[in-house]
Amino acid sequence: MILSVGLVYICIGYTGYIATLDWDGSAPDPESVGLANFTRLFADPIFWRAMAHTVLFFVVTFTVQTVLGIVFAVILHSRIRLGVLYKIIIFVPVVLAPAVMAPVFRQIFAADGQFNELLRALGMGSLAHPWLADSATALPVIMGITIWQWTGLTFILYYAAMSQIDPEVIEAARIDGAGNIRVLTSIILPGVKGTTLAILMLSVIGALKTFDVPYLVTGGGPNYATEFLGTYIYRQSIPLADVGYGAALSIMLLILAVFFSLLVGSRQRKDA
Amino acid sequence: MRSTRRTRTTARSVIAVVSLGLLAGSLTACGSAAREDTSTEKSGTVTWWGWTPELSVAPQYIEKFNEEFPDITVKYQQIPIDGWEAKLRPALASNTGPDVFGLAPGAMFEQFGRFGIDLTSQAEKALGSDWKSRLAPIGVAGLTDKNGKLRALSAGSTFAGPVWINQELFTKYDLTPPRDFDEWARVCAAFAQHDVQCFTQGVAQTAFNQDTLQAIADTINPGLYTKATRGEARWSDPDLVAALTTWKSMFDNGIMQPGALGVQQYPDANNQFMSQKAAMVMMGTWYMQYTRTEGMTPSIQAAGVADPKPFAAVPIPFPAARTGGTPGALFGDSDYGLAVNAKSTNRSAAITFATWMATASAGQQVVANALNDIASLSGVEPQWDKIELVNADVQRPALQEVIAASASVTENRLLSNAALATAIGVATTTVAAGDASPAQAAATLQSAAEAAGVAFK
Repeated sequence: MILSVGLVYICIGYTGYIATLDWDGSAPDPESVGLANFTRLFADPIFWRAMAHTVLFFVVTFTVQTVLGIVFAVILHSRIRLGVLYKIIIFVPVVLAPAVMAPVFRQIFAADGQFNELLRALGMGSLAHPWLADSATALPVIMGITIWQWTGLTFILYYAAMSQIDPEVIEAARIDGAGNIRVLTSIILPGVKGTTLAILMLSVIGALKTFDVPYLVTGGGPNYATEFLGTYIYRQSIPLADVGYGAALSIMLLILAVFFSLLVGSRQRKDA
Repeated sequence: MRSTRRTRTTARSVIAVVSLGLLAGSLTACGSAAREDTSTEKSGTVTWWGWTPELSVAPQYIEKFNEEFPDITVKYQQIPIDGWEAKLRPALASNTGPDVFGLAPGAMFEQFGRFGIDLTSQAEKALGSDWKSRLAPIGVAGLTDKNGKLRALSAGSTFAGPVWINQELFTKYDLTPPRDFDEWARVCAAFAQHDVQCFTQGVAQTAFNQDTLQAIADTINPGLYTKATRGEARWSDPDLVAALTTWKSMFDNGIMQPGALGVQQYPDANNQFMSQKAAMVMMGTWYMQYTRTEGMTPSIQAAGVADPKPFAAVPIPFPAARTGGTPGALFGDSDYGLAVNAKSTNRSAAITFATWMATASAGQQVVANALNDIASLSGVEPQWDKIELVNADVQRPALQEVIAASASVTENRLLSNAALATAIGVATTTVAAGDASPAQAAATLQSAAEAAGVAFK
């Protein structure tokens, strides 16, 4: 109780208080500015760009991770050879720290990186270009890295959920003439709906909190092309020492996270 | 039964409230307790935090210091510059900060200068009433606050402006260092034929873009860039638009490496130069440390080269933007000052260390010989006969030239206005990416500078 109140709610309240200040985080005389930081936030084009990136990031990563997670789980439930090895390969990225992998991805997607070499080897040299230096491709690369990293978790969750589906139901469906697609859409997907909603909630919160991969790989650039709320909060609070504004952004992130959690939660309750 | 449960609940609540009260009380006590000095001028333990010097250099300073003050233990902790503010700010705001901390002029000074004690009397005690005339003026000015308090003593100065070249690659391909942009483009075309990257810069780390833009601008209209940062000229000035146009040309004429917008200066560009994949890099006088064999070898190793072979890195003046123009001047500040934390419990010993480093001949000599910084104390020069350079014949004259030129520098490198620095960074990257024309970027930069509080005349 003390930990919960002390470490979470008091901190949230304190952040809310800081959000009303013009403060660099250490000056003894912070100036109260009321809701000016929030007014500024709504007029800040970089905030809205970060929001747009977050929405796009969520839609793409959630969709691709879900599809890949289901596909991998279905395939590995079909008793293929070396199944354990495939499970390990798919899950390993989940346990690798982004700080370890970031330099690797920076090298892979650099102008003289291995991804461009691969494209040239495949006869697609015209597509080769500096992926992280281009505003149009930096965000897709960040999304690709995230998908690579987290699909393993989605796969494990679906794999576990599919284990709970009664095999006799699938057997009965097959006897009734249902094909693979019909079994997937009519039995498996409804059977793992709860898992999908849980992944949805995790993805929403994860997208809102995205920080490590863009910070380590692109630093939010080029030209804010990979700026997210998390990286923008850090940029404002630490390098620019605008802690009051950073706190206002943090409160906005909290509000969005709570709102979407409640939204998904209410959907879950409705389904239940 | 119900009564017993209620009693237990009440008891738990009381314990919780009392615990919170004790916690709050102890925190308050921590915050308000007097910080007594437990050290003396000749004994104590001093913790020193800095993003520079390197871990290979700081022990040399401490070792020399301990020859004079054996009873003062100095513990140095290097913190990467990326995490410096995040670590220092809460430490200084609480009571967990170091006794001595590095302090750079500009935005860092604005943020953390107030945590250092006024060292004016210490400087006067060490150097006499004319102490200011004995120290590099650029180091004193940048570390003195609006009230005239000297918040840190400059350990040494650094200057940007030069481009560093790999002399061995230039010699190997029979190329001459460029003096203007036309020559530079030709040199880069020649390197490209040999599959060598010509020039590397981490454009994603925008602070270094300011160096290049300022260097370009100084070859077009010396001092104009600095005037614009002070509000004495407008960013939309045609010469500054020309500087941005020249900057853009670097991305179009083969000077800048492909994908520079996605590259960090540290570690990427630095590693490219150290691993000899690139022949030129935009770095300042802090790169002098890599002219020493013992400085360069670990840096090449850190760049991922298994069998490091030091090569001759040499500074050249920044090539002139206009054909036949004058190559660029230097601009710079104190690299770092040593500030004594006002909350230090080892204040006397900390003052002794900071003052010795910045004002004692022995302290400044070891700084000069490390070639990490140019000494603050006038008259102290590197002892070349004691310094092992990779290729003294080539490097020594170039280093002496840079050090001599630095004595007359009046233009600052670091900006105190962080929002303006950000705006300049954005202008450079938007122009480089082709998202804005140089004129549009200059106009936006002017608006951003006004919004950042720069008062234009």
